[in-house]
Amino acid sequence: MRISALILLAVAAIAWAQPPKVKLWSLQPVQKPAVPALTPSGNPIDAFLAVDHKAKGLRPNGPADKLTLLRRASFDITGLPPTPAEQDAFLADAAPDAYARLIDRLLASEQHGVRWARHWLDVLRYADLDGLDGSVMTAAPGIYRWRDWMIQALNDDMPYDQFVTAQILGNRYGGRPQLTVFGTRSRPEVNPADRFALGFLARSALNGGDRNQEVSINAVETISAGFMGMTVGCAKCHDHRFDPIKQTDYYAMKALFDPLVLRRVDLATPDEIYAYSKALDAYRRAKDPIDRDIAALTAPYHQKLYDERVAMLPPDVREIVRKPDNKRTVAEQKTADDYFPVLRIDPPKIKEIMPKEEIVRYDALLKQQGALKRPADLPAHWIVEEDSARRKEPTYILTSGDPAKPEKDKPVKPGFPFQPADLDFRDGLREGFVSWLTDKDNPLFARVAVNRVWQWHFGEGLQKNPSDFGLLGGRPSHPQLLDYLASEFVAHNYSMRWLHKLILTSDAYRRSSKPEPASHKTDPSNTSLWRFRLQRLEAEPLWDAILSSAGDLDLTVGGKSFQVVNPDKKQSIFLPKDGTFATKTTRRGAYMTRGFIPSTEVMAHFLQSFDVDDGRTPCPVRTQTVTAPQALFTMNDRMVESASAKLATRAAAEPDLPAAARRAFRETIGRPPSATEMDRALSFLANDPAKLKDLAWLLYNLDEFLFVK
Amino acid sequence: MPTRRQFLQRSANGFLGAAAGALWAADGKLPGALLPGEPRAKSVIYLFMCGGVSHIDTFDPKDNKFAGTMMDAIGFGDNNAAMKRPVIPILRTYKQYGKSGIPVSDWFPNVGGVIDDISVVRSMYCHQTNHFPAVIEHTTGKPLRQFEHPSLGSWVTYALGSANKNLPSFVNIGRPSSPVQLTGGYLGAAHSATPFQPGDTPIPNLVPPASSTRAAREKQMQALLDWNQEFRADYALDSEIGARLQAYELAGNLMRTAPAIVDFANEPTHVKDLYGIGAKETDDFGRQLLLARRLVENGVRFIQICHAGGGNGSWDAHGDMATHAPLCRAVDKPIAGLIADLKQRGLLDSTLVVFTSEFGRTPWSQNTTGRDHNGKGFSTLLAGGGVKGGIVEGATDEVGYKAVDRPHYISDLQATILNQMGLNYQKMDFHANGRAFKLIEEGTGPIRAILR
Repeated sequence: MRISALILLAVAAIAWAQPPKVKLWSLQPVQKPAVPALTPSGNPIDAFLAVDHKAKGLRPNGPADKLTLLRRASFDITGLPPTPAEQDAFLADAAPDAYARLIDRLLASEQHGVRWARHWLDVLRYADLDGLDGSVMTAAPGIYRWRDWMIQALNDDMPYDQFVTAQILGNRYGGRPQLTVFGTRSRPEVNPADRFALGFLARSALNGGDRNQEVSINAVETISAGFMGMTVGCAKCHDHRFDPIKQTDYYAMKALFDPLVLRRVDLATPDEIYAYSKALDAYRRAKDPIDRDIAALTAPYHQKLYDERVAMLPPDVREIVRKPDNKRTVAEQKTADDYFPVLRIDPPKIKEIMPKEEIVRYDALLKQQGALKRPADLPAHWIVEEDSARRKEPTYILTSGDPAKPEKDKPVKPGFPFQPADLDFRDGLREGFVSWLTDKDNPLFARVAVNRVWQWHFGEGLQKNPSDFGLLGGRPSHPQLLDYLASEFVAHNYSMRWLHKLILTSDAYRRSSKPEPASHKTDPSNTSLWRFRLQRLEAEPLWDAILSSAGDLDLTVGGKSFQVVNPDKKQSIFLPKDGTFATKTTRRGAYMTRGFIPSTEVMAHFLQSFDVDDGRTPCPVRTQTVTAPQALFTMNDRMVESASAKLATRAAAEPDLPAAARRAFRETIGRPPSATEMDRALSFLANDPAKLKDLAWLLYNLDEFLFVK
Repeated sequence: MPTRRQFLQRSANGFLGAAAGALWAADGKLPGALLPGEPRAKSVIYLFMCGGVSHIDTFDPKDNKFAGTMMDAIGFGDNNAAMKRPVIPILRTYKQYGKSGIPVSDWFPNVGGVIDDISVVRSMYCHQTNHFPAVIEHTTGKPLRQFEHPSLGSWVTYALGSANKNLPSFVNIGRPSSPVQLTGGYLGAAHSATPFQPGDTPIPNLVPPASSTRAAREKQMQALLDWNQEFRADYALDSEIGARLQAYELAGNLMRTAPAIVDFANEPTHVKDLYGIGAKETDDFGRQLLLARRLVENGVRFIQICHAGGGNGSWDAHGDMATHAPLCRAVDKPIAGLIADLKQRGLLDSTLVVFTSEFGRTPWSQNTTGRDHNGKGFSTLLAGGGVKGGIVEGATDEVGYKAVDRPHYISDLQATILNQMGLNYQKMDFHANGRAFKLIEEGTGPIRAILR
């Protein structure tokens, strides 16, 4: 899926076809269609789908059984398997609204936000670490606070327009002054927690490189794909070949974010700050004399090497380099900067020309210096904010999108694709954009959002390319249903909770997933939703399901991401050593580190083999592969081995072997064994409780464990 | 997808014991690109030195008369500003080897010993000047990674399919400079490289945990088939479920075959010595190359070995050319040993060995005794697989900066490899949305002068 989407992008960028003269469906206003005749469920979703089924002569599947529904809804809403107690409770609840109350309970769980934040974070390219060796992600140490903010926002059912606004502005209410009841105008108060939402924009900055360019380029590409469903990124180098997006639109949108600079927000208490300052002071006092001794010791050698190198420079450059900084012209300074790497002298070079006895002294000093411990960094989070000086700098088109190649004859005014004629930036650049973006009449905003939510429930969107509502993304399978959902989403104040509930209580969601041959023949890809799609568990729920059945899962919400890979010692020098990552590995899979740097592994093999992206690019749809390394994981990994032993111990606590087997089935596949299965289990166990561990292994390797029916 | 009966028949052989045969593994996807006749090379061993080998200190000798002079050049890494930079002396001594008398520096005496089996292409070039982009260019034939372009190895397996269904056909050993070197891109994850680690565990989770016996596992695998049957019958129309069966089969086959391939216990000492196994400096790389030979013997088509990878790669000798010395010592003997071993087994004719890096290094220094990146001219070595021995192709200018005589863009190397594997690179397309995507879009095609 993701691959095909990329190919579409590729075609869009490379093919030199003229944009066809058709109106893009997604840019037409959302019109709330009349709901067709209701089906017995009374849910409008089913009414729209029934029209399609009738037209195609499809007989949709009936509802799945209760335990199947419970497992499906639990993994979907909270990412967790239903416990045996939850299974008992749901089975025992014979009330007609038992299912609706189940949905309410699951949506009210604090684990719901943990599960659904992962979906959005895939789209918004969350990573715990990113960049190149030596120029890694600046915001890495506090970035998890953005993830935690999002979990909280989803658990609070923050309206979607505020959810987006907060991540672009750091203020969920936008910047627009509002009229109070007393007739005065005032800006809405900023919710202090929303600063953590700015991790979204701050995440792109890398140490070294041009931080601010990274922020604005990534902002354009992620926001346009994520919230507008438009591949504005294609217009970085040239006008979009198919969609009405010009290269100037790209850079106009970039101009909105060009004034942003990165800022560190200290999160320490005054006591922590005092303690840190004291420790820092002590550290400096101990280190300064050593530094002075080192400088004195190395100075003559450093000077000698430096002079040699300066002597090697062309005479004109030599003269420039010898001038004091403040006496150089701008052009001369540029030359001096160009030659700077030649003149940099690293300690090993100095050692090469030092006499032996001096090296001994030098090494001793370095050892003393290395023995001093700098106090651990204070807790901090990185945000972006507008810099007034940068606001005055013009934005230029960049050749091939390269920040080093501005086309100075092509300045661009702030704006964005499809901008209105009466562009209003009086409240600020981003404020003006966000107010257009989240406007209820913006045809893209709600459509893109409801399509994503639909996709995460059903495995596929009504529009199959959720980040491309352009010409090449294809048209929605049920445009009327999409528009109905979009308009009602707006009418319900962008409540994601409302949308979840509408979808989850539809017949469409509750259907059995069995592929009936006749329907399968008519509609093999299930575009008409005549059944529920069989879905492979994603990496995180799989991780959680294994730990949960073993009784090991730590459900603490939020906090630092944890690392399960053992980084190669020789190569791990660029991994943060400041406690950025935690090590406890029994937390939910949603907290496992992801990201990429060249020198060493950041992401567990587990995540990689179960199709989790590294967060460097937006991932609108996760591929669902079925591969040998996945099989090897459930067959042989130590985690499954240990879980098998623990599940066996839990099962063995039951009064007899049949009860033990029953417990093991319910802990893993969420249902008791059938009579045939119980016979098989008992014959496998052959009266030997020691075989429970092998039985647990079998359950972890069942197709039914890895798939959600 | 296999029928239920086939599936039960096969399972009768036991999951860990059966060779699954060609029942399901995908065959070549580009039959139209096959050249007539038998391919010259069945396998490729692609040795990639991460960071950039200095050609002028190894296989492309230059006069030292420019040392100490200032040359018109460009800046460092991404900085392309015009500037003057000082040429540094080449501290190596060169010696002529073999009948061909090709000069090789004192850093590669063992490779010198087999030079009559090698073609030295001294006129390679690429466009990119920094590691990441250059590695991407080298791997995908595209100067930028705007899209999911696949790697050379994945194109080979995509086009030719698998020759041994028990093993992946594109294997990578060693940490690469970039994940792009492993990617199947739009050809699909099935064609991406399977990373093998040297040592006892080439693939994670290949060996059952110590607390589980093979016999117990075999019994569990049998039971698993039984336990899955209702679910698999219910969802027989879902292709993922068919894929599950295949995944377990390949997993079982890997568990069965891979440990034997990585177990060198039966390799005689004189063969291990050839690769420098057991000697401190050459042991790591020697083991990787011996593993490569064993994978060749088992029908793996493309074996990529990344040396000194991670970050920019250790061959990136900005600071001091002396940092090349231990790296050269680590690879020189194993490479010569590999060529000799393949030859004595009659495998060299059908195995193409390539030695390259993303670019070469400049004649001038950046930090007094080191050299900067140089994509404008560098050397690549090829041996076996229908490539002539004792040949020098092309040349750089007199200081060793630019390829000037018969220059070859990196795509020419790819075209040569594909040609020797029996593929017409011009007919290798991946079609999507009305457009043909190609690996090679630049250059002059296979380097004919070095082909038999």
